[in-house]
Amino acid sequence: MITVKHLYHDFELGKKGNKTTLPVLKDISFQVNKGEIVTIAGRSGSGKSTLLNLVSGFIKPTQGEIWINNTRVTDLNEATFADFRLEHVGFIFQNFQLIPSMTAYQNIELPLILKGTDEPTRKQRTIETLTKVGLIDHQDHYPSELSGGQQQRVSIARALVLNPPLILADEPTGSLDSETEAELLNFIKQLNKEMDITFLIITHDEEVASIGNHTIHIKDGKLIAGGVFQ
Amino acid sequence: MTFKDQLKFVRQNMKKNKMRIFMTVLATAMGCTFLIVLASVGFGLQETLVKDQLEQSLVTEIQIHGYEDKDGNYHEITDEEIEYIESIEGIKAVTRRIQLYQTPDYKIDNYQSNANTVVAHFPSELKAGLKLAEGNLPEAENEIVVGYNFEEYLTEKDADPEEIYDEQGTVKEAFRYSDSLIGKNIDMTVYQYIDGEEQSQTTSLKVVGILEKPTREWATDSNVYITEGTLSEIEEFTGTLRGSIQQDGEQVSEPDSDSDTYNTVNAYANNLEVVDSISTQLKDENYLTYSVADEVKQINMLFTIAKAGLIFIGTIAILIASIGIYNTMTMAVTERAPDIGIMKAIGANPKTIKQIFLLESSYIGFMGAIIGTIVAYIISFAVNIGLPLIIEMAFQEEVPEGLKFSSIPLSLVAISTGICLLVTIVSGSRPAKRATKIDVLKAMRREI
Repeated sequence: MITVKHLYHDFELGKKGNKTTLPVLKDISFQVNKGEIVTIAGRSGSGKSTLLNLVSGFIKPTQGEIWINNTRVTDLNEATFADFRLEHVGFIFQNFQLIPSMTAYQNIELPLILKGTDEPTRKQRTIETLTKVGLIDHQDHYPSELSGGQQQRVSIARALVLNPPLILADEPTGSLDSETEAELLNFIKQLNKEMDITFLIITHDEEVASIGNHTIHIKDGKLIAGGVFQ
Repeated sequence: MTFKDQLKFVRQNMKKNKMRIFMTVLATAMGCTFLIVLASVGFGLQETLVKDQLEQSLVTEIQIHGYEDKDGNYHEITDEEIEYIESIEGIKAVTRRIQLYQTPDYKIDNYQSNANTVVAHFPSELKAGLKLAEGNLPEAENEIVVGYNFEEYLTEKDADPEEIYDEQGTVKEAFRYSDSLIGKNIDMTVYQYIDGEEQSQTTSLKVVGILEKPTREWATDSNVYITEGTLSEIEEFTGTLRGSIQQDGEQVSEPDSDSDTYNTVNAYANNLEVVDSISTQLKDENYLTYSVADEVKQINMLFTIAKAGLIFIGTIAILIASIGIYNTMTMAVTERAPDIGIMKAIGANPKTIKQIFLLESSYIGFMGAIIGTIVAYIISFAVNIGLPLIIEMAFQEEVPEGLKFSSIPLSLVAISTGICLLVTIVSGSRPAKRATKIDVLKAMRREI
């Protein structure tokens, strides 16, 4: 599902004429197979979020290759990568990243609108997904009217609504209490099992890391354990 | 993302800051109104002038004043040229008239008048549309037809000249000839100086027909139409071409020196569309022509330049409004940067983001154009009604009837809407482009 080969990434610091480069990721290689839950663990500043941003296409690597579903995504331009993301990847963010002026229903419907899905199908898919995440009674609520756990479920519903084969999650339980965290992790496992969705989860929490089929450990931008190639 | 969804999205976004959008639309509408009202003055005055021009003459008429030969000498039109002009495709008729170079006295019973006298070629006049109100065309040499208004100028011989005319300068009913002229004999007296003394010759002519009233209300026809035979008789008496009166020592043409030429030659085209091409063809062949189409063409050319200038000035107002649009759109992009970041993260194509913002700025432009056009129509209507009254009150001068100060044709609405949309799209394109460049990570971290 995901193959990362010899990935390097440097951050450019300073202003024009006085730039310095800071290596963030060094020679990262790993593989995530279809239907797996893989977690990337590491301390704060280890480069795990940068790695997820590279896989997501939000930033371009300095060197190396990333393959998702047999597509070398590091070759895609911004527009093509956007289309690719919409089609193949769902996202769950630490602070939910819901549009505050849209209701739960509208936030979940957004990817379907972007894809150009017709209105009846959109309605059916959004209602189904809202039901799946248990928020059908909160569909007209704005994010500010929902609890952290509910907002994260809206975020998951938005990631699920287009049935992507892969979901990338950046600290999905970072803003949740321990009870809601446990609920969410169970839900992720359930989705993985029932819908065969592949998950790549970034976390600094050992408990979250433990739900993965395997865990990749990163320290100071280097992969220290878990890069599996088959 | 479908266009319908983009529009829905734009409407939702615009609702978030109604006052700011309203002020921007208002500025655009004011710019649009200014453009339309300004240019409408050009359109209005052009319309009035062209209408006036078209009303004053027959639109299919081409007046042919003469012919210029290779040496640059001017000649009156002869039968040979008329034959050629008649052969041109699209020509319905070529009328020709010979003008008598004096205005004879006409007397019937106790009434008299002086009238312009011409020899007309009736077959071509009939083809051109001449109609008789009464009687028929002359068949014998001493027969004549008179213009519809000829009778109105026949006044009592002994009446006091100060009493016979009313305030409008027309002959009062009481002094007019009231019988029918048809079949009556009328005496025509022509004059000439012979050996320094004024001599006259009176010929009795029979009125056989009266021409139909001229189609234009303001036009009058008080001519007397004589035959070529009668003209020859007059020329024989005066010894001059076309009966001109010879003063002492004055040189005039002999009667037969130019006998087959005509003073007034008018060609009539089958329809308005061919007038221009026939006129051009004749001009190319050195004929001296004039047609209302030439005049209208010149007026239109002049006003096209004037209107372009006015539209240009009006566009400046829209350009000023575009600064507001640019500002509004830039603020919208900045405010919505986190939302744009989220949309881009979940898979919104940069092209879609750009389209949404361009649609928003065009929506503002379109709304401004609609409101601006409605207001411009109201102003135009008020100006056309109010300005003549103000001019009359302020300057005590009457405005010509039918004068239109302002006219807004659909073409002007289309031009102003087009300019408005173009300017708003251009002013919105930079913020829209900026929206596509928003960094997803910075936007999601609320760093923009």
